[in-house]
Amino acid sequence: MNDDELERERASAHPAPAASPDSGAPFGPMPSKAAADDSASDCAALCAYVDDELPADTRAALQARLADDAGAAQRVAAWRAQKAALQTLCRADDAAASPGYVVLRRRDPWWRRAGLAAAWAVAGAGFAVAAGTLMPQWLPAGSWAMRGAADRDAAFPARDGEGFARRADVAYAVYSPEMRHPVEVRAADEAHLITWLSKRLGKPLAIPPLGEYGYALVGGRLLPGAAGPAAQFMYQNDAGARLTLYVSASGRDRDKVHLLSDGSRRTFYWSTDGMGYALSGPATEARLRTIAYEVCGALGGTSAQW
Amino acid sequence: MLRRPSAEFEAQVVAQLAPMRRYARALTGDAAWADDLVQDAAERALSRASSSRPDSNLRAWLLTILRHIYIDQLRGRREIAVDDESAPWRTLEAPHGEVDGLVLRDLQRALYLLPAAQREVLLLVCVEELSYQDASTVLGVPAGTVMSRLSRAREHLRVLLDRGPAQDPARHAAPLRVVGTTR
Repeated sequence: MNDDELERERASAHPAPAASPDSGAPFGPMPSKAAADDSASDCAALCAYVDDELPADTRAALQARLADDAGAAQRVAAWRAQKAALQTLCRADDAAASPGYVVLRRRDPWWRRAGLAAAWAVAGAGFAVAAGTLMPQWLPAGSWAMRGAADRDAAFPARDGEGFARRADVAYAVYSPEMRHPVEVRAADEAHLITWLSKRLGKPLAIPPLGEYGYALVGGRLLPGAAGPAAQFMYQNDAGARLTLYVSASGRDRDKVHLLSDGSRRTFYWSTDGMGYALSGPATEARLRTIAYEVCGALGGTSAQW
Repeated sequence: MLRRPSAEFEAQVVAQLAPMRRYARALTGDAAWADDLVQDAAERALSRASSSRPDSNLRAWLLTILRHIYIDQLRGRREIAVDDESAPWRTLEAPHGEVDGLVLRDLQRALYLLPAAQREVLLLVCVEELSYQDASTVLGVPAGTVMSRLSRAREHLRVLLDRGPAQDPARHAAPLRVVGTTR
């Protein structure tokens, strides 16, 4: 089967019924038609065994058989090795290419759309009402989310801590590699930065100094949060490593500090006095927890949140 | 405005970008094309958030979208028969991994010698670790077909690796093709 056939398969509504699997595929490792028929179900069972798709009893029976059947055992071993090698082959550049962020930058359009949507949500009170009514219908998609109810109503701000942390994590992944425009307002205009973002978030913000840990403020930017504006402050040390503090209204009086790990990045997040905070940094920053502790305290948090 | 996906959904899709890209790269053997595919698939997924079903596997749903776009794009691209020297596995960089690079290069070459349908099912089950059920959803074929196709793919790959691509009769039966763009 080549790509043409793949296309045809896509075009037909119900391709390849069970009765006629693609037995006509043009390749020749099967010794003969008869032998292929004989071993087909056997091969399928071995396949399912390798992929752990068999029910427990069938699996046990097959396992017992493998002890006596050297040919089948050999086949299973070869297929397992194949599977492991395929994983190595295809996942080889996963780690090297800092997953996600290159692709994320290419996805500007929907970020802008999301931003626009957030702006509309803020601008139109009428829309908010409409959205509140419509949400239950189009948010079943959102129930991929682990927690449903609280998150389903647009009128509630980002209550879901993990959703909040993910947004912070994504914002970190998107902006921390940015060389030319890491921030909208630079640290040189710190006073303006604070005034501006405080006004947009409707709450007086503070930017905790992290000089003690070797991180200086780079600046900040405004971002669309889950249900309103969010602010991102960026810090950088001499080695070029960056941290971000992501801030958005959470509507939660006080939430404990949690950790979200995503590959090469870590995010500590919590809530204090109605504001959600997330400190993100590279997994290589061993002091991230200490820094988060410091930042949490500087922003009105208590050690009881830890 | 109904197209605005929830933050949760967005995050879930973002978390699947790496597997999507991996699958797209393996499917196309072309990094740039793969990135385009991932972008298109992610956009389409986000604009159709409401059509995903919460009870099914998100990764499978995303890979289905990606695959449909891939097949659609195949139509828009001109297929050119090529000789071995410019075949995709010649120009793909040998991967660096714990397993011997040469072994992997042989595997890579063999993988691209497989018929597309066999390659796909191997990638979905072995690399993306989808269940047979999810793979059957992605491919739009019954689970039984997934299993039979998979076992044939495995045997085919084993034979290719055992005796090397030079003796593979499939090469003569179905001439190799590489997909070039006309855009």
